[in-house]
Amino acid sequence: MSSVLQLKNVHKAFAGVPALSGIDATLADNAYISLLGPSGSGKTTLLRVIAGFEQPDGGEILFAGKRVDSVPPHERGIGFVFQNFALFPHLSVAQNIAFGLENRVVDPVTDPKVVAARVRDIISLVGLSGLEDRATTQISGGQKQRVALARTLVTEPSMVLLDEPLGALDANLRMRMRSELRTIRERCGVTFLHVTGSETEALAMGDTVLVLDRGRIAQSTDAGSLYSRPASADVARFLNCYNIFSGTVEGEGFHSPVGMLALGGSRQASGTPAYAIRYDRVSIRPQDAAAAGDEVRIEGSFVASEYSGAAINSFFTLDDGRVFEVETHLSHVAPTAYEERGRYALVWKREDALVFV
Amino acid sequence: MTMAATSHDTPVETAEHHARKQPDRTFWLLAPGALWMLLFLVAPILMMVYVSFWTQTTFKIEPTLTLKSWVTFFSSDTYLGALWTTVRIWLIVLVCTLLVGYPAALFVGLFVKNKTLSTALLVLCVIPFWTSFLIRVLAWRPMLGKEGAINMILMKLGVVTQPIEVLLFSELSVIIGMTQIYCVFMVGPIAFMLGRIDPSVIEAAQDLGASFWRIFRTIILPLSMPGVVVGAIFVSVMVLGEFATSAALSGRKVNLLGNIIVTQVGSLKWAFAAVAGVVLTILMGAVVAALLRVVDLRKEL
Amino acid sequence: MNASGIKVSLGLYTALFIIFLYGPLAVLAILSFQTGPEGGPQFPIIEWSTYWYKHLFGLTPPSRIAPLPIEQALVRSLGLAVMTMIVSTVLGVTAAQAFRKKFRGSGVVFYLIVLGMMVPGVLVGLGMALVANALGIDRHWWGTAFVLHVVYTFPFAFLVMLAIFNRFDPSVEEASWSLGVTPARTFRKITFPLIFPGVLSAMLFAFTLSYDEFSRTLFASGRDLTLPLAIYGTFSVEVHPNVFAFGVLTTLFSFALLGTYAVLMALSVRRAKRMAIQEEA
Repeated sequence: MSSVLQLKNVHKAFAGVPALSGIDATLADNAYISLLGPSGSGKTTLLRVIAGFEQPDGGEILFAGKRVDSVPPHERGIGFVFQNFALFPHLSVAQNIAFGLENRVVDPVTDPKVVAARVRDIISLVGLSGLEDRATTQISGGQKQRVALARTLVTEPSMVLLDEPLGALDANLRMRMRSELRTIRERCGVTFLHVTGSETEALAMGDTVLVLDRGRIAQSTDAGSLYSRPASADVARFLNCYNIFSGTVEGEGFHSPVGMLALGGSRQASGTPAYAIRYDRVSIRPQDAAAAGDEVRIEGSFVASEYSGAAINSFFTLDDGRVFEVETHLSHVAPTAYEERGRYALVWKREDALVFV
Repeated sequence: MTMAATSHDTPVETAEHHARKQPDRTFWLLAPGALWMLLFLVAPILMMVYVSFWTQTTFKIEPTLTLKSWVTFFSSDTYLGALWTTVRIWLIVLVCTLLVGYPAALFVGLFVKNKTLSTALLVLCVIPFWTSFLIRVLAWRPMLGKEGAINMILMKLGVVTQPIEVLLFSELSVIIGMTQIYCVFMVGPIAFMLGRIDPSVIEAAQDLGASFWRIFRTIILPLSMPGVVVGAIFVSVMVLGEFATSAALSGRKVNLLGNIIVTQVGSLKWAFAAVAGVVLTILMGAVVAALLRVVDLRKEL
Repeated sequence: MNASGIKVSLGLYTALFIIFLYGPLAVLAILSFQTGPEGGPQFPIIEWSTYWYKHLFGLTPPSRIAPLPIEQALVRSLGLAVMTMIVSTVLGVTAAQAFRKKFRGSGVVFYLIVLGMMVPGVLVGLGMALVANALGIDRHWWGTAFVLHVVYTFPFAFLVMLAIFNRFDPSVEEASWSLGVTPARTFRKITFPLIFPGVLSAMLFAFTLSYDEFSRTLFASGRDLTLPLAIYGTFSVEVHPNVFAFGVLTTLFSFALLGTYAVLMALSVRRAKRMAIQEEA
């Protein structure tokens, strides 16, 4: 698989405050890549540096094999879709889409017939037919999103950067646009780099997910591996599906605030020692039920549960006061009613836990 | 080996070039305007300061440095009188514009709840600003004259039997004229500041039984102060540099520093005019600096 | 006194205040219809007539009252105002564009520009006359006076554009660049159409201020009079109603200008609305 973009030790600081501290990454050609990071992790800065809107303080950016960090944005050939869409408010939908084709400095399309044909094609690709002559102020959020995308795709960039493209849409639309974005990308065969703060969005959309933490790439892998094998406790925390204990490894056990947790599975080297167990790997049993030899068992008091379609999330308080979350998939078991403030055993298999040392 | 070194050097050079381009762009965007101001604003003012130390002969000036014009200025009753008149008229007009303008600003900015009506009233106040300044000054002559509109009305009403002559061609007419022309600059900023007061604050104070006077003193007046100061800066700068209103309405009875400059230039006494100009500049600088200490203009605008 | 009582009395005061603002102009307008040439600039109106308007255009038989020298002056004033409007709007837009990025020394440059509208005309005019004398340059309305007009109006254009750029979303420009469009073309095709209402306001400011300017022009324009200088010249002599008639006409001209501006603004708003209505149909 060939790469379209390479970042080597890219640095950027604003007024002395570092935003990017040594980004190294290689993005594959013809792929959907999610960039996941909490707010303030530098993800928008990274996108703007790649697009050329911001100058990196150091490092190299190679696009299609050529160094571009000194090339102005309009000569890079990298598309950009803004969170607020940034449509040209004085132009109609069709004029917005035709703008790049007609006005770009490299290879502008001057024949109005060719422009019209290409605009028509892209409009039907993104599903905007019939809206060509509308003003950008008079279309819905989802339609604006499509115009922004069409405007970029019609110029045939080899890579499109999307800055929280679904952030301005309501929840319903967001779900629908997810699959549409993937379909459109596959049809165009370009690389999408999609920045998001939502772990579900990142996991659902990316062939590859990059996790950005405090100006560094914390992990870069496919969605499945990321979900089951986060590289550090911090990454696990962003994924929002792990109970995480801090503590120390002592022999064959992990010394945590809620007691000794027996170790069984593999251990991963990471900065800070931590013990993580995924929400859906835990089973809830009556307090008096015994644990098997390969299982870890702690106790907690039931607080509440939250029904979310295919699963129920139950919350327990542990003895040190922390909240412990368990996700039970309803396809596996029938929903059980738990007694409020009742004590339950929370049990998981030793090898399911992730141990960072 | 050599090849590798060359291919590595080139991009580094272009990177530096691009990094330099941003400040360059700002520089070239600003250069024409800044240069224009330096050449045609700062240089003439400096020239004025310089010429005030030149030697004045009957019809021309010579670049021999001397303090003679300055000594003449400060030992002449005419010039010192003009300085005093300028300060006096400025203070009176400043107070008058504030007294006349504040209630109107209070009504427009605070009491008119309807946004459209309040904008319309403000526009009504600003419209005269778009008409000729000199015509507006001149319009006071048929108003205030011996056979003018005001005297005519007063006599019809039987308030006076003889026309009041002091209305025109006096210090009073200059003050009336200036107050009318400049009070718009006081009303605007004050109404703007009053418009930003949250009405619920005042309603809450009313519910607590506070009298209007008390609300005015403790809430409205302090919150409108930045507007008063900004308005005072506008009015001061314009009144201190005035000469046309006094030329039109005082019948040469009121001589401001501006009038001194005009007459001196008319009789080719450039060095004296320059001295009066420098004195005026210093006076204005002191007034504006004092007012700016009270409020940060850039923040309020 | 209760709140509504205060409101009523302040309302009455504001009505009086507006009469105070407009009264003199109204009286001036009434007196401009005084009969001529024997009728003077005072009440009562002997007979209503348009004599002084005819007098202004030289359509009356010669009398002891000389016509106002406005024909040449009008051409000069309009020419000067147009030149000033173009140059100060261009300077205002470019300077405000530079201020969109933070840069060192921005405070100094800001005050340098704003100084132009603060310093009284009589001082700049005197300074410019002294510079011209020292350099042996002749003073003309299209030279020394013109540069001073720009010094005066450029800060207004700059402040208007600064306010416009403050509300401008820079991401539409970045979007254009990322489509491969050069910054220069982006400015022409995207930025300029979007800031056009602001540019129009800056132009209106510059034109009106220059058309009405006299204190800078007085010292810096040499022998040829502009329109305001012609009016200023009547201050020291006896005023006749022909000046009032001129005042009415020039006020009407200012209103016509304001009206044209309002129509142009309304048109640009309507264009945006029309596109919106198309969508609903």
